[in-house]
Amino acid sequence: MVKGNSFYPQLFLVCLCGMALNSCKPKEKLAPISPGEINLQQFVAIGDGNTAGYMDDALYLYGQQNSLGAILQTQLQLVGAGEIYLPLMGGANIGTNSSFLSRLILGWKTDCLGGIGLSPVRFAQQGEVASLTTSVYSSQNKYSNFGVPGLRMIDMVSTAFGNINLPQHNAFFARMSKDQFTWPVWSGDWSSVQENIFDGGYPTFCSIYLGIEDVLPYARSGATQNPMSPLAGFPGVGFEESLTQLCEQLYSQNVNAVVATIPDITQMPYFSTIPYNGLNLDEANAASLNQIYGPLGFSFTVGSNSFMIEDPTAGAFGVRPMVEGELILLSAPLDSMKCHQYGSVYPLRDEFVLTLAELQEIRNQILAYNQVIRQYSNFYGFAIAETGDFYTKLSDGFVYNGVTMSSKFVSGGAYSLDGIHLNPRGNAMLANVFINAINKKYKATIPFANALSYSSIYFP
Amino acid sequence: MKRIYLGALYLLFFVCNNNGFSQGFQVNFQGQRQQGMGLAGTAAPFDGSSLFFNPGSSVFLNQNSIVGGVTPVFGNVLFVDSATNTSYRSNSPVGTPFSFYAMFQLKPAGKLKWGLSVNTPFGSTVQYEDNWIGRFALTRLELKAIFIQPTFAYRIADQIGIGGGFVISSGNVNLQKDIPVQDTNGVYGHAELAGKAIGFGYNIGIHFTPSKQLSIGLTYRSKVAMNLRDGEATFTVPSSLEDKFPATSFTGRLPLPSVTTLGFSYHPCSAFTVVLDINRVGWKVYDTLAFDYATNTSSLLDTKSPRMYKNIVAFRLGMEVKPIKNLALRIGGGYGLTPVQSGYVTPETPDGIRIYGTFGVGYELSQKIRVDASVYYTKIKRSDTNIETNMSGTYTTIALAPGLSIAYKW
Repeated sequence: MVKGNSFYPQLFLVCLCGMALNSCKPKEKLAPISPGEINLQQFVAIGDGNTAGYMDDALYLYGQQNSLGAILQTQLQLVGAGEIYLPLMGGANIGTNSSFLSRLILGWKTDCLGGIGLSPVRFAQQGEVASLTTSVYSSQNKYSNFGVPGLRMIDMVSTAFGNINLPQHNAFFARMSKDQFTWPVWSGDWSSVQENIFDGGYPTFCSIYLGIEDVLPYARSGATQNPMSPLAGFPGVGFEESLTQLCEQLYSQNVNAVVATIPDITQMPYFSTIPYNGLNLDEANAASLNQIYGPLGFSFTVGSNSFMIEDPTAGAFGVRPMVEGELILLSAPLDSMKCHQYGSVYPLRDEFVLTLAELQEIRNQILAYNQVIRQYSNFYGFAIAETGDFYTKLSDGFVYNGVTMSSKFVSGGAYSLDGIHLNPRGNAMLANVFINAINKKYKATIPFANALSYSSIYFP
Repeated sequence: MKRIYLGALYLLFFVCNNNGFSQGFQVNFQGQRQQGMGLAGTAAPFDGSSLFFNPGSSVFLNQNSIVGGVTPVFGNVLFVDSATNTSYRSNSPVGTPFSFYAMFQLKPAGKLKWGLSVNTPFGSTVQYEDNWIGRFALTRLELKAIFIQPTFAYRIADQIGIGGGFVISSGNVNLQKDIPVQDTNGVYGHAELAGKAIGFGYNIGIHFTPSKQLSIGLTYRSKVAMNLRDGEATFTVPSSLEDKFPATSFTGRLPLPSVTTLGFSYHPCSAFTVVLDINRVGWKVYDTLAFDYATNTSSLLDTKSPRMYKNIVAFRLGMEVKPIKNLALRIGGGYGLTPVQSGYVTPETPDGIRIYGTFGVGYELSQKIRVDASVYYTKIKRSDTNIETNMSGTYTTIALAPGLSIAYKW
C-alpha cells in the first residue's frame, strides 16, 4: 500500500517531469501528401535496364530492388500505389548480363605495369544462367515493373522480342513473359512486351522511360554497328509510331503517365572517363612518335598529347590525332594503351572511339527522339520527366545533402560500375526527376526519395 | 561546511558543459538571478555573478561570497527535410553549463574587490539520430569552453565602479560526421576531429548609479580566438581507401565573439526591480570554419566551410518582486536576432530568431546562505537551404533549462 500523502506528491513530480520532457520535444509536423489528379492503384514502370535495375553490367536481385521502377513505386506507395512485384533474379546476387557474365564489383587488379589498383572485376566466374532460362511468370501477381534490359521503343510491339527460337530474342523478357518459353498456339504469335503489360487489365498510371536503347548499342560500338532506330516507320520499325501507338492506347484507356525524355548518353562515364588527350609522353617517346608521324604532318610534344585513332576519312593513311570533344570508350583496351603503345604507335580502332561526326549523329538522333516524346506527351496530357537535365547536372557535379555527386567513374557516386547504368543512389535521384514531373503535371505532392538511404559503390 | 563547498566546486569542474541553445553557440546561463529575469542584470549587481555580468558593479556589493550554480539544458532539435518530407531528431545529451564565482573585499565597504569567475559562456553539444539525412554534414558536435577570469574592481567614486578581468579560455572540440564511402557490407565511413583549444580575452565594465532608483552598466567582453593545435583527425573507411584518409593532425580556429552590453536597472522601491539589457554580439568574427590537415590527399583536402555569421543585438527584460523579506520572485524574457544568415544554417547550430521566457525564485535561508533557481524556455524555428550542403528543411529547436545555485556570503 502506498500512503496517500507521500504518493500524490511523487505522482505530481513524475507528471511534472513528464510534461517538462514532453514539452521539450518539438512535435512532428509533416506536409500533407497527395497523389493529386492521378489514381495509383495499378502502377506499372515501363522501360529498359534503368527501370529494371540493371547495374554493374548485370541484372541482379539487389539492383532490381533498388531500380528506378522500384524506388519510384516506393515513393508512389506513400500516396496509394500498390505492392511492388519484380521478376526477381537469384538470391545469391550473382546476376547476369546477356553474355552470361556476373555483375561487376570493385576489386583489385594488377595492370600491365605491375601496379595494383581498384578496378571493376566480375563477382563470379559465370553469371546466373539458370535465372535466364527459368520462367518467373506468375498469373497471380502481375509485375509492376516492366523494365527489360535492352528494351528499345521499337521493341514494345515486337513479336520477335520474346521468341526464344530467334537468336535476337531478349532473354530478360522471355523469363517474365506470359508465354513461359512456349509458343502460344492460340494466338500464333509470341506475345509482345506491350501485350504482357496490358494482359489482364490496364494500369491506372505508368512511367515510361524508353529510347536509350534505341541509340546506346550504336554508341557503345563506337558507331560501327547496331544502327539507331529510325524515327520514321511503322510501329516496330520507327521510333515515332512505336511511341504514338503506345500513347494512344494508354490515352484511350484513361491511363495517365509520366514519360521521360532521353539524356545525352555520351555524358555517361563509359564515354567520358578517358580523356582524348591522355597520351602522356616523355622526351624519348615524343621523339620516336615524331619520327613515325612526322611525314604525315603530325607532331608530338612532351606532356599531354591527343591519342591517335583510325579514321578512314582522314587523308591517305586513315590516321589522325583526336580532337577536343571526341570520346574514347571504356571498352578500349587500357593495358595495351598503357604498355603497348596502343593509341599512339598503333592507332585506336574506330570501335573504341566516337568522333565529332559520330557524336553529332547520335546527339541529333536523341534530339529528334526527344522532340517527338515531348510532342506526344503534351498532346496526350502526360507528365514529362526531363532526365537530360539530371544527367547534365551530374556531369557538372552537384552537392546533395552534403554529398558531392558527379559522373566521375566509380568516385562520382551515382553510376554503377558499368559506367552506363546508375547505381541505387543514382536511381533514387532519377526517380526524383519523375516525381517532380508528376507533382507538377498532376498537382500531386509526392515526397521525394532520400537518395542517401540508397547505397552507392561498395569499396573493398 | 567549507569542505562541502569545495566538494561542490570540485564536482562542477568535472561536469561537462554543453548546450546548443543560445544565439550561435553562446550560452547565457551565468547566474540564476539574471536567468530568472530574462538573462538581464548587467546594471543590477547581485552576487559573485557580477564578476561576469559587470565587473564594475561588483564593488557595490558589500560582501564576500562564493556562488556555485548549474543549469541542465534539455534541448531537442527536430529537422524536417522538405524534399523527402521525413523528419529526424537530435538525441543530444543533457547540457550542464555551470558557473562558479568567488568574490572578496579586503576590508568591509572597501573600494577594491577581487574575485574569480569560472563559467561556460560558449559551448554546444548536438548529436543527431543514427542514419539521419544530414549524416554526411554532421553527426555530432561537441564544443566546450571554460572561461577562467580573475577580476579586479574598484569604486572610483560613490556612484561609479569600474572593473576588469583577464580571461583564459580552455576548450575542446569534437566534430563527427559520416563519410559517403561504403565498405562491402554497405557500412559508411566515419570521421572524427578532436582537439583541445586555448584562447585569451578580457572582460571590462563600468557601473554608474545616477540616483537611488536607477543604475546603468556598460560592459565589454572581448572576443576570444580559440586556437586548435595538434587536433587529431581519425577516419574509419574501407581498407582500400585507407591511404586516402590517413590519420593526421590538424589545426583550426574557432573565434568566440565579443559581447557589448548596456544595462539598466530601475529600483523604485526595495521590493521591486526592473532590469533591461541590450546586447550586441560580434558574431561577424565567425566567417569560416576551417580545418587544415597536416597530411592532405586527393580525398582529404583542407576544408573551409563558410559560416558568414553577422553581428546581432538582443534585448532582455526582467523584473523581480520581493513579497516577503527573504523571498524573491522573478520573471523575464527576451528577443534576440540570429547571427546565422539565410543559406548558412547548419545542423551544428540550427539557429533562428529567438524569443524566450524565464521564471525564477530566490530564497535567503539565512544571513549567509541563499538559494536561487530559474527556468528558461525557448522554441526556435528556422527554415533554410544551406548553400554548402544543399540541405533544405526546417529545424525546430526546443530548450528547457532549469537552473539552481547556492551562495555563501560573509
